[in-house]
Amino acid sequence: MNTQQKVPVTILTGFLGSGKTTLLNRILSEEHGKRIAVIENEYGEVGIDQALVINADEEIFEMSNGCICCTVRGDLIRVLGNLMKRRDKFDYVLVETTGLADPGPVAQTFFMDDEIREEFTLDGIVTLVDAAHIEQQLGRSDESTEQIAFADVLVLNKTDLVGTEGLDTLETRLRDMNRMARVVRSEKADIPVDTVLNLSAFDLDQVLERRPTFLEPEYPFEWTGVYALEPGRYELSLAEGPDPEMSLVVKTAQGSDDAALREGAEWCVRRYADPAGSVTPGDDVPLEAHVSLQLQTSGRKSFFIQVDAPVKVGLYAQHTAEEFDMKLLRTDNGVEIPVEVERIWVAQHEHDDEVGSFAIERSGDVDPERLNAWLSEILRERGVDIFRMKGFLSIAGDPNRFVFQGVHMLFDGQPDKPWGDMPRLNQLVFIGRNLDEDAMTKGFDACLI
Amino acid sequence: MSDLNQDGPRGVLRSGWTAAVGDYAIAGGWACKGTLLVVGDAAGGVYSFEGTSGTIRWEHSEIHQGGVLAMDVHPDGTLFATAGQDGRVLIWSAEDGQVRQTIDLGNAWVENVAWSLDGQWLAASVSRRVHVFGVDGQEVWRSEDHPSTVSTLTWSASEELATACYGRVTFFGGSSGSVVQELEWQGSLVSLVLSPDGNVVACGSQDNSVHFWRRSTGEDSQMHGYPGKPSALAFDDSGTLLATGGGKDVTVWSFDGDGPEGTHPGVLEFHVKPVTTLVFARRGRRLASGARDGSVVIWSLLSDGEGGPVGVSLVGDSTSMPDVVSGLAWRPDDRGLAAFDASGGVTYWRVMDR
Repeated sequence: MNTQQKVPVTILTGFLGSGKTTLLNRILSEEHGKRIAVIENEYGEVGIDQALVINADEEIFEMSNGCICCTVRGDLIRVLGNLMKRRDKFDYVLVETTGLADPGPVAQTFFMDDEIREEFTLDGIVTLVDAAHIEQQLGRSDESTEQIAFADVLVLNKTDLVGTEGLDTLETRLRDMNRMARVVRSEKADIPVDTVLNLSAFDLDQVLERRPTFLEPEYPFEWTGVYALEPGRYELSLAEGPDPEMSLVVKTAQGSDDAALREGAEWCVRRYADPAGSVTPGDDVPLEAHVSLQLQTSGRKSFFIQVDAPVKVGLYAQHTAEEFDMKLLRTDNGVEIPVEVERIWVAQHEHDDEVGSFAIERSGDVDPERLNAWLSEILRERGVDIFRMKGFLSIAGDPNRFVFQGVHMLFDGQPDKPWGDMPRLNQLVFIGRNLDEDAMTKGFDACLI
Repeated sequence: MSDLNQDGPRGVLRSGWTAAVGDYAIAGGWACKGTLLVVGDAAGGVYSFEGTSGTIRWEHSEIHQGGVLAMDVHPDGTLFATAGQDGRVLIWSAEDGQVRQTIDLGNAWVENVAWSLDGQWLAASVSRRVHVFGVDGQEVWRSEDHPSTVSTLTWSASEELATACYGRVTFFGGSSGSVVQELEWQGSLVSLVLSPDGNVVACGSQDNSVHFWRRSTGEDSQMHGYPGKPSALAFDDSGTLLATGGGKDVTVWSFDGDGPEGTHPGVLEFHVKPVTTLVFARRGRRLASGARDGSVVIWSLLSDGEGGPVGVSLVGDSTSMPDVVSGLAWRPDDRGLAAFDASGGVTYWRVMDR
């Protein structure tokens, strides 16, 4: 019996004009020596000799049970089934979907059909985004939203048509919708091929390696600086920056180690929940209160901090010091106080899109029976709204890590490497529509032993 | 399965010969009154072997660029048709391996090809359409677009052409191409078989079920509970037994009496991997099954669908690893059985007890 490795498949999605064909041609021209088959649903101008290009109309097959999670792509089953009969099998398959394709059935095909599952593995979903037009598209169609939510890699293309600020805003919005995806920017889909191929995208370790902070909690502030101060009067000086105002909390008795910073951050989250007092240039900044520094005037602006005893203060600021060239100086001699410790936090954003993502990270073991019951329940009740999930679990009594992934209600998991000396913990990421993060996190917490 | 390999074929199966084609053997059949076996492969080659010895008579490699997708021998055994990824249908003379007619259907895969039972018509499907040709290769009619790609097609004894696609089975008049009947059901129909009298239409569905209709009454039923999709289906010559794959067991439904509704099917256990192909002998309740594990079994069945193996073997010879069985073909006199496999192997056994 043949026990060859499964052939990886990359799905390229994205609206018409987002640059799919350009990227496809780029991959084909760079990946010499690999036998690549391309299945095209959109009849583009792929003109590379070495690849076998197969045109196939998108055919969505829903099952009589009406379950959207059982919906598969008949064209892929048919074409892939025939491709795998060749002795000179392909090293790689690329599927270029139409701009309006729903990525759900495409991904589900690799879970639902036994023969396809036996021969192929879904390596990753790459979504091309036309940076200049995606804002309108997101407003108009569910497909573009879902293409973003399902992606392992988001290629922000045609960046030359949009300013840096616009791109940052767009990237923030896309990241809110899909925390799991890697975002890369390009002008003409000119990105390194290895950012879209051989991703093993369903491997959460790789995601964590790329973006170690993505499971961290979000804070309403982006930066903290700790300063050791003698009694006296200090000037907080800011140049012009990206925002006409900036929120700030000055915490006293701030330690400089990691635990003290986290503790301080949690305390400041509560201060940030209070309404901000407006502080104009020349005014004193009250300690341990949420203030909004008014920065509308041009040039450098100064605010003042009064300290009556030796103390370490933590400045928890909405922006980084660098963005405003922010300095702390003694007023009597004009000497700049060096920052003792700096810390960047994952900044919180407005979540206005229906589609979003969140992560759960908990140390300790889970009870397999409770976990199973909980997962079955959320998949049954919320499976339609959960686009993708992946992660790993520490199951009580099992020496191995358990890794899982899912598309809608479909769940696939298996034992992974042994925990060994690693601390046992659980990490889960969910991407979906209108997901109740609090309820799901509580539900998971109830599975912990 | 290793003990099976060492012992060679058992029961009614006796060693015949083995041969090889250039790539995955897609399909094959007996021509020239069972004296010649023709086989097409995934590299687009077409081969013929002497029925008694396995000696190659003629071969054409890479004739269908991209690979052969389907093949069918004309009922009189002198002609056969092949179809491939190159968008062509070829009509061959079996005896000498000459292409008699070349039909070009454009830049799309031709996935199915079948002769009508009286040998007058040849049907071929391309994407959402079927075309019907005469023996001379001239098109007689073509259908409108189906709702999706035609997955399979077959002819009834009364020369109607039946096609299956997502959500529908359609019957066309063989000579006119007019739509005679449409049977609808929401599901992806991956296989299709008709009872010999044409009354029962059975389809395997992607959702791991078998759906069937009785054309005379319009009633339909569904058989659930398969672990996989039933892509292999076969009716016996009396129309009593419907053998179905969809897992490693062969499930046999009996249409005896009021069945199969409300009855228990026969469940034939031997294969350790999913069944890929099922073919009844021309006469009698004798079924051949092949599976992904490379095993081939001949079953003797009762009218209630129960039965047991009377012959077993693995494909290939004792030196090779058995690979997925892609097809089986009984010799027209039922005294021989040929198997095609995913490694390009062709295995022939004599079938003894008749």
